[in-house]
Amino acid sequence: MQKLSVRSVTKRFGELSVLDQFDLQVDDGEFVALLGPSGCGKSTLLRIIAGLERPDSGSVHIADKPVTDIAPERRNIALMFQSYALLPHMTVVENVRFPLRMRARYSRSEQLEKAREALDLVKLEHLAGRYPRQLSGGQQQRVALARSVVSEPNLLLLDEPLSNLDARLRETMQVELKRLHERLGLTTIFVTHDQEEALGLADRVILMNKGRIEQAGTPEEIYRRPRTVFAADFLGGANIVELEVVKSGRSWKGKFPDGTTVPLTNSPDLEAGPRSFVLRKEAITFQPVNSMAVINGSIETQNYLGGQTRSLVQACGVDLIVVTDSEKTEIGRRNTRIGWRVEELVPLEL
Amino acid sequence: MIAATPRWVMALATTFLVAVAAFMLVPLFVVVASSLSSSAFLVFPPPGLSFRWYGEILGSEAYLRAGWTSLKLAMVTVVLALALGTPAAIALSRFRFAGRATIASIFLSPLILPSLIFAIGLLIIFSRYATGPSFTGLVIGHTVITMPYVIRTVSANLADIDPNLDEAARVMGARWWQRYWLVILPQCKTGMAAGAFFAFNISFDDAVIALFMRAPSVETLPMRIYSTLEFSPDPSVAAVSSVMILMTMVLVVMLSRVFGLSKVV
Repeated sequence: MQKLSVRSVTKRFGELSVLDQFDLQVDDGEFVALLGPSGCGKSTLLRIIAGLERPDSGSVHIADKPVTDIAPERRNIALMFQSYALLPHMTVVENVRFPLRMRARYSRSEQLEKAREALDLVKLEHLAGRYPRQLSGGQQQRVALARSVVSEPNLLLLDEPLSNLDARLRETMQVELKRLHERLGLTTIFVTHDQEEALGLADRVILMNKGRIEQAGTPEEIYRRPRTVFAADFLGGANIVELEVVKSGRSWKGKFPDGTTVPLTNSPDLEAGPRSFVLRKEAITFQPVNSMAVINGSIETQNYLGGQTRSLVQACGVDLIVVTDSEKTEIGRRNTRIGWRVEELVPLEL
Repeated sequence: MIAATPRWVMALATTFLVAVAAFMLVPLFVVVASSLSSSAFLVFPPPGLSFRWYGEILGSEAYLRAGWTSLKLAMVTVVLALALGTPAAIALSRFRFAGRATIASIFLSPLILPSLIFAIGLLIIFSRYATGPSFTGLVIGHTVITMPYVIRTVSANLADIDPNLDEAARVMGARWWQRYWLVILPQCKTGMAAGAFFAFNISFDDAVIALFMRAPSVETLPMRIYSTLEFSPDPSVAAVSSVMILMTMVLVVMLSRVFGLSKVV
């Protein structure tokens, strides 16, 4: 069953087109990330799904029912705001109970029971009687999360769920969100500008740019096989190399500016001429084996990152960033052999 | 420690501070001391101490009636100022509509305009279209001059709250009336308390509007004090004033106990 279907939704704010004929289908139980820079339309899309914003055209369906004209209070969804939006005058357990109370579902004692169960899920049952201002940021977020899942919503929407937390809490929360999703199986859509968050949490990443889908796919697909410069850049930055594609016999080769050629995988859309390729920083190794594409270069600088080393390598007339798990090698080494598995050099769309 | 501010500046500032405090507190002290006077005339320092003037005012029908009028007036004013000022503050802070800034300035104008002007206008209107000065006239006058305080304090409250609360409540299934009653109004509580405090004090203390709206049947406590002072000054005036000081202090303590003074003022 499709939990959410967004059909050619367009939204304009004055002259500015925020979403342009946007389509999105989400299956039951999926964990989807809407990823993109600020102004790409991801937050507006989330607000349209929640019903807080009305699309200019197009329609939204939740659990196979059209909801475009239905107010947010009747949609049976949950939205966790970036600021958590906890009600400051209510205790933790009253906050969590609020969605059940508003929908007059269950008796009062059952509502409290459910609220306590939801708090238990985020391990905060012992703070049920506190007020939000007495909690730390991480605890407030857990309360917001418990409040979002308590009503068993059709859709769980999260707006930048981790961006208000410090780096360490973010890691724990990431684990927790994943665990909660696995346990409850709620169809979850979250908005983020952080590629790590998107890759680490989602089953499917929708990369958005200027109100359109730039690329969508599993985290692995979108990270390893970016189709555009924008996608390659946004997902952690990668080496983008300009090569001249030439035919040699029955296979294709890529020619570096200095004339060195490397093998390319056969791809139906390859044609002779200049082409941009993406080569992930971790795909390059200093210990190439024979089946790899191998070139010679010199290491210009290195930075130790703790567990990883980042090197700037000049090779065949281009600069390449290489990230390896090894400790530092010598800087300034000439004639270092570097290589990558042939399929790691991915052609970008023309 | 190395002084960040030269000593003589600190000394000057301290002197200034003490002087200001003295100007604020000494008159209060004089009033309270005079009220304990055993003399039949309002003199300072009092020749001897006694509580006779407190007994005197508690037995004076004129004072008690004026006190009761003032108390009733202040309470009705508080209720009306809250009932009108709170929704006004909510509307001004939540909605963007044409003429919003103008309406906001009109609502706050009694803070700036001399209440004398307003009182004259009120008197003319009441004399022409109603039965002249009356309790209702006083209530209207006091509501107008105190409502801006409620609007100010409630607005300050509303400016502090998470702007997402209303939308979050919507998504959680709260209808519009549930959002007003369970989400927005509870956020205005401290502002309403502070506004009520100001409204009560201003109404109880007002002499300007009361002067114009005075009638034999409606005399407020400040007017009673004023006429006593004018025609037969005795320490009863100071005793009444001391009671008023005490009442204000009790109110402040109550408010700060419940809400925390820093939040309220």
